[in-house]
Amino acid sequence: MKILIIEDQKELLKSMVGYLESENYLCETAEDFQTARQKIEGFDYDCILLDVTLPGGNGLTLLHELKKDKKADGVIIISAKDSISDRIQGLNLGADDYLVKPFHLSELNARISAVIRRRYFDGQNLLTFNELVIDLLAKTVFVNGKPVDLTRKEYELLLYLASNKNKVVSKMAIAEHLSGDGAEIFDNFDFIYTHMKNLKKKLSLGGYRDNIRSLYAIGYKFEV
Amino acid sequence: MKLLNKTIRSYLVYSSIILLITIPLFYVVVRHVLLHAVDHSLKSQMREIRNNLSSIHSKQELEIWAGLDKDISLYTEPGPASDSIYTRYVTNPRHHRDEDPYREIAGTISVNGQSYKLVISSSLVENEDLLGSIMIVQAILLILLMTGILWINRRTSKKIWMPFYSLLNEMQHYDLNKNNELTLKSSRISEFNELNQVIKNLLNRNYEIYLQQKEFTENASHEMQTPLAIIQGQLELLMQTVPLTEDQAVLISELEASIQRLIRLNKSLLLLTRIENNEYAPAAAADIEEILVAQLDSFHDYLEKRKIRRIEKFEARPVAQCNIALMEILISNLVSNAIRHNITGGTLLVETGPGFVTISNTGIDKPLDAQKVFNRFYKESSDSASTGLGLAIVKRICDMYKFQLSYVFDAHMHFFTVRF
Repeated sequence: MKILIIEDQKELLKSMVGYLESENYLCETAEDFQTARQKIEGFDYDCILLDVTLPGGNGLTLLHELKKDKKADGVIIISAKDSISDRIQGLNLGADDYLVKPFHLSELNARISAVIRRRYFDGQNLLTFNELVIDLLAKTVFVNGKPVDLTRKEYELLLYLASNKNKVVSKMAIAEHLSGDGAEIFDNFDFIYTHMKNLKKKLSLGGYRDNIRSLYAIGYKFEV
Repeated sequence: MKLLNKTIRSYLVYSSIILLITIPLFYVVVRHVLLHAVDHSLKSQMREIRNNLSSIHSKQELEIWAGLDKDISLYTEPGPASDSIYTRYVTNPRHHRDEDPYREIAGTISVNGQSYKLVISSSLVENEDLLGSIMIVQAILLILLMTGILWINRRTSKKIWMPFYSLLNEMQHYDLNKNNELTLKSSRISEFNELNQVIKNLLNRNYEIYLQQKEFTENASHEMQTPLAIIQGQLELLMQTVPLTEDQAVLISELEASIQRLIRLNKSLLLLTRIENNEYAPAAAADIEEILVAQLDSFHDYLEKRKIRRIEKFEARPVAQCNIALMEILISNLVSNAIRHNITGGTLLVETGPGFVTISNTGIDKPLDAQKVFNRFYKESSDSASTGLGLAIVKRICDMYKFQLSYVFDAHMHFFTVRF
């Protein structure tokens, strides 16, 4: 899977590349408008991460050109602007998603997975981890072929961890992901423990070996 | 006290004093002058009589002469050595209760070596009537004069101060956020023109400074986003490093909590500046109940975890004219506020009715400072996840749409009400 990251902040770029490469994505980078334009014109990517404010031009112009050329690359806008109108403008231009800076890398990764999954929709709507199968289309989970009845939050939690498999995902990132955009966050993460406890219980009842490891103080890791 | 009343009051006091002093003074003076005139006439009559006594030769003639004039009385006993003038009150034969004043002169005359007492009297009744009339005319005149002066003064003052009042009115409706240009009437009075100009300059200068401040907050918040994103990203990478000891894990998690707080704070500041910049699209009809239910549902996990009882009293399905995203933020902030400062096993009560929504909660059992509760960074609790901006944002949104926001503490509950 090939990803183009267009971002002018070197350190941010570095951390995104670091996280995504460990997820076995092939990452290319562009730090300004011209380089980005050349790379977009010259190659096809599975997903493009697009910063809006770039030296030498506006990222939305690139998006506009991309759509005009009828290129099918998935695009996620990463922007410091989080007003509704900015989001709507970006999505109307044909972006697949809009992520507001600062974001959790685990959240970015989950969104990239979702965009790529949507692009290769044909038959690939099943995520399989040994005896665990997640049906993305029906939003159902099977263990050893038997359906597991999960609540919406539990399903989202599992999918989020699965999207960031073998990665430490912080409680904070999970809380934000489950609460949705712009939701107020409290210091209290007890509700995650509850969901996690229920999820683990339901999976093990179906006979799934517990692969979700709890990391002291930080969060969780889904090990495959 | 109003400016116009102030000047007019001074005039009024002065006029009243003058009226009160002059009317009795005038009375005394006129009375004195009249009396003097009567005395003078009596004396001259007495003098004339004495001069003409040579033509009277007998007592009979004298008595006949005295009988002809009812104002003259003649007595056979000798009168005072020198003439004396006095006032005498005589009971009016027709009105028994009235005593008519008379001015009399008493003197001694001698006819054929015999001394007589001669009294000439003059009625003062006409004089008193005259005095009365003069006083009435005088009083009417004075009152007319005073009221006239007051009226003219009030009218001219009003006219003169009109630019001042129009300026006052303009200033009252001035909104720094909109910087609506003042439409000041130019006046023929140079001081007012000067005042207008000075105020215009002052407002423009303030507006400039305000813009700079706003821009600064906005730029600062924007600039902070990138380093925050970098720190957060690298923290996540740090989490992935192996081996990770427990001590390191605790440090990382605490770091992340602080960064998250900083991010939220920054977002809130940005939101505030954006509201102040009117960056939100025009108003639409916001269904309060729908937004409220959606927000409450999104907080379901927190409510459940803290065993907070959620009571809903929905009535009349109120609709507010405002930006829907802003209304969502407003309600979300009020609800999260009511959850954050609630107690375990407490109550969250949401109520709607025609033109209002009330969100109330149990919490610390004493009223908050209603003056400060909507201020930025006012905090009652030590909850580190609280930015201290939530209610300030609510207030700003309410100000923008001229909604009324109020806080009341009653029956162990904190009530926040928005009227729209």
